[in-house]
Amino acid sequence: MEYLQVKSTNPEILEGGENGGAVTAILLSLLENEDVDGILNMKKHDDVYDGMPSYITTPEELLETTGSLHCAPIMTADIIAKYLKDSKIALTTKPCDAMAIDEIIKRNGLNRDNIFMIGLNCGGTVSPLKAEKMIELYYDVDPKDVVSEEINKGKFIIELANGEEKDVKIDDLELEGYGRRENCQRCELKIPRKADIACGNWGSSKGYTFVEINTERGEEVIQNAIDKGYIEVKEPSEKQVAIRKKVENVMIKMAKKKQKAQLEKEYPSPDELQDILTRCIKCYRCRDVCPICNCKVCSLEKEYLQQSPEEKPDPLLMHGIRMGHMAFSCINCGQCEDVCPVEIPLAKIYQRVQLKYREETGYVPGVTSGKPPMYSPDKEEVAE
Amino acid sequence: MEEKKIIGFCCNWCCYGGADNAGTGRMSYPPNIRIIRVMCSGRINPDMIFKAFHEGADGVFVGGCHLGDCHYDAGNYKWRRRAHLIRFILDEMNIDQRRFKHEWVSASEGSKFQKCITEFYDELCQIEE
Repeated sequence: MEYLQVKSTNPEILEGGENGGAVTAILLSLLENEDVDGILNMKKHDDVYDGMPSYITTPEELLETTGSLHCAPIMTADIIAKYLKDSKIALTTKPCDAMAIDEIIKRNGLNRDNIFMIGLNCGGTVSPLKAEKMIELYYDVDPKDVVSEEINKGKFIIELANGEEKDVKIDDLELEGYGRRENCQRCELKIPRKADIACGNWGSSKGYTFVEINTERGEEVIQNAIDKGYIEVKEPSEKQVAIRKKVENVMIKMAKKKQKAQLEKEYPSPDELQDILTRCIKCYRCRDVCPICNCKVCSLEKEYLQQSPEEKPDPLLMHGIRMGHMAFSCINCGQCEDVCPVEIPLAKIYQRVQLKYREETGYVPGVTSGKPPMYSPDKEEVAE
Repeated sequence: MEEKKIIGFCCNWCCYGGADNAGTGRMSYPPNIRIIRVMCSGRINPDMIFKAFHEGADGVFVGGCHLGDCHYDAGNYKWRRRAHLIRFILDEMNIDQRRFKHEWVSASEGSKFQKCITEFYDELCQIEE
């Protein structure tokens, strides 16, 4: 079995979760059967624009984490590498989380056997402040009234407290500069196949989650959950598999188009870019948040690479060095851009370098198996 | 016009020997190059190249052993992979790629070292400020 349609049997999960609550049900079965020490999952905090990564050890807490949070683009890879390295955990991963975890594993920062990854197909996330503004402008609704949101069939759908649903096409929102984050628009990985299982609603029957099983462990866990009665499954038809494939292909094609537009057509000229880069105030936030940056001692802090505090920060000694260390593995998660206080389009710069590197070596970060060629001891014969 | 400055990272076993060979053979090359000896071209990382440009180098030259001749087996292959990445980054940093050059020079190739540096110097002089 490679593809399955899964639905929870628990009425509480069915009510709170999306598309049959398969993800929560599988997590619950993992937790109750003690296959894992805990679960790292995203919990709604103040409202739908505020997600909080929470480490969960009881079924009650788990039920609070149901439902999607597209407006809280938080990544978990760094958190588990820092704090949960030695525990056996399960977690939900967007494609970018899965890529980040893969790159961290390649740098010996995590042990794959300790983590069970439930992949979530992802068409993109929305930055919270933009989402609030967008909902006010295009949905004519007070952002505070939104109780849940969903992205489906190219539309961003919100649900209000009184049960009313409103939707606007994402393409229209993006034309006006709203909609998904820019790096998500350019993202080519929509189904995280490095995760043990990949879940989503593309092609699925109503009330079911479409699950692609990628690893043996994934198959075991699903079988276990079926045997213990946590989930109901049915096989998808060939047509449904084809629909899912088609959705994925359309999205990838769109991403490639956006890459062309954002990284070539609208990309600043070298002189403009230099002006933008010299805005850098060297706050090091991009480094701190980067899931690829994994060194014990950071080169940026080495004495011979320091500048005097009165000197204007040279982008070469900040972003040049950073790129020399991570750009070939940049997964385009966009966090550097999110946290930059002077709004340097860092993700675009890094992704451009990565794409050039990819063209030359074929290395796709987080997807290609094996370490980046940058670390290889090989003596390959490539043309100069 | 101010004098051009070139920082040259030369590997101990080949290119540095090549520079020595040029010297003992009395082959003249532009005195603008400041040679820094490193044990292997595989020891050079992008940080060092960017630091050189930051400090005001007009050009950065890296010399290593010919492919297959590395004293440490594969150091120059590693360097070559890094050099490609450095070129991509220089593009984004608005630094002319012509200001960065790497070449394989063996310890007996004094004349090649002379030729390389002379050509590199001439090219740097042609780049408009």
